[in-house]
Amino acid sequence: MRSGRSPRWLGVAGLAGFLALGEVAPRIGLVSERYLPPTSRIATALADELGQPSFWAALGDTLEGWAIGLTLAVVGGVGLGLLIGSVPALRAATASTIEFLRPIPSVALIPLAVLLFGTDLRSKLLLVVYAAFWQVLIQVLHGVQDVDPVAMDTAHSYRLGRLARVRHVVWPTTLPYAVTGFRLAAAVALVLAITAELIIGSPGLGREIAVAQTSGAVPAMYALVVVAGLLGVAVNLAARALERRLLAWHPSARREAAA
Amino acid sequence: MRRPLVSLVALALLAAAAGCGSSGDDNGGQASGGGTKQVKVGVIPILDVAPIYLGKEKGFFSKRGIELTLETGQGGAAIVPGVVSGQFQFGFSNVTSLLIAQSRGLALKVVANGVASTGEDKADYSGIVATDDAIKTAADLEGRQVSVNTLKNIGDSTIRASVRKAGGDPSTVKFVELAFPDMPAALEAGRVDAVWVVEPFLSATLGAGGHLVASNYVDTAPDLTVALYFTSEQLAKDDPDLVGKFTEAMGESLAYADAHPDEARQVLTSYTQIDEAVIQKLVLPKWPADINRESVETLATLAVQDGLVTEQPDVAALLPS
Repeated sequence: MRSGRSPRWLGVAGLAGFLALGEVAPRIGLVSERYLPPTSRIATALADELGQPSFWAALGDTLEGWAIGLTLAVVGGVGLGLLIGSVPALRAATASTIEFLRPIPSVALIPLAVLLFGTDLRSKLLLVVYAAFWQVLIQVLHGVQDVDPVAMDTAHSYRLGRLARVRHVVWPTTLPYAVTGFRLAAAVALVLAITAELIIGSPGLGREIAVAQTSGAVPAMYALVVVAGLLGVAVNLAARALERRLLAWHPSARREAAA
Repeated sequence: MRRPLVSLVALALLAAAAGCGSSGDDNGGQASGGGTKQVKVGVIPILDVAPIYLGKEKGFFSKRGIELTLETGQGGAAIVPGVVSGQFQFGFSNVTSLLIAQSRGLALKVVANGVASTGEDKADYSGIVATDDAIKTAADLEGRQVSVNTLKNIGDSTIRASVRKAGGDPSTVKFVELAFPDMPAALEAGRVDAVWVVEPFLSATLGAGGHLVASNYVDTAPDLTVALYFTSEQLAKDDPDLVGKFTEAMGESLAYADAHPDEARQVLTSYTQIDEAVIQKLVLPKWPADINRESVETLATLAVQDGLVTEQPDVAALLPS
């Protein structure tokens, strides 16, 4: 499947078909051109946006919030995950609380974020970190639990210290889980960064979308939505590339490469 | 309950966060040596606030030692809480929202006029638009669905005033909530019978085959004051000097914008994405420097009558003396 040439070709054709549909549907009156402009008009608006410094500033703000939030979530999630996961008592004590806190949708914290931080970067970070943190923490907890008891016992009998056990036994088992957590968190962090901008009005792409919407600038609004989509694709591709790099030694990646 | 580490960490994070928040406040209104004060104002990126952008550009604030940052939040959801918590020193909000906030015990104080109706019937920046020819006057809205951007606020309150003035029964009008940008499409698709829109969506709906049924702001009161700039009672008490300077600068900005509509249109391009052609044609509101107190009283009375608040709001306490 992966090595065949036709899937990639089909992918491009599918995208082209989708774009053509977006061009034709409004033109033949299937949907109103005023509310869903044809692809070409959106493309023109996009080119317009690309020429404006304010667009690049907004893109930078979004990426900044995403990157800082994701870093905090990953560092916190991995650190706490390893700690909680390797101390059974701690794990038992926190399990119910984690299960309670984890499903709280980050967007439900918007009123809290606004009260604490107004519209600035910290509001965005609160939402991003809260959403992304659980993704990483849960994966790392699963990873730590997945450590082979025989390997652990072997490490014990070789008198490996606590740190050495974490380094040579726990970490290699946990890493694939942590990387999966990172990939999920990277996507969620972007969603929440743009949501925060859209709703709270923190600087960034989301706020630009809101401004275009309140101004009735429909093509510009769609153009910015397209940018948000492309950003999502880029984040996912980057996360996958990183995953392949970090896990090149892992049997799952090796098997895939051999196939 | 057991004592889980995570909740402890979460608490610690929250405490740290709250700490950051309050330290942020301290920097907010503080003089930074040379007598220049950093001031954040929460506004909505709509044409109503053109004067403050224009005033900033013209240096009306900087010459009074105010370094202005305009924070935009969609629909203004963040503005009142932002001002109350001290994230913003000032905010922009419609009169009815302020009356409701005050009746709920939020300590707010109006510092300057915001925006007013043009006072000219069928030539205001706000209006009720319908596509159905059977809806000729506001009285024909009886039993119909009318969309407003926020329920139980200035929209339905002033539409009821229009219906009442035209001799209809406002209690039979059904209000639905829709965002202004979604209204033209909703009207065209027939999902609502009429929409209440403000510029630039008023031009858009009229251009798309709608007709103007009534000018709700004009029907409510002559030269209705629609929105105001406000601060928290705390700041008004702690730093009357800053508030006084902001009021002065705002007064100058309003007068300037009102006298220079071309420049007001021009400044719209700096903070909105409204199409140039639309900007040149749309109806601008009025920006008088003084608050029309009588019209604020009228909105207060309507707010009680429509059940938006339970007690008659204390207009004198809200408005500057």
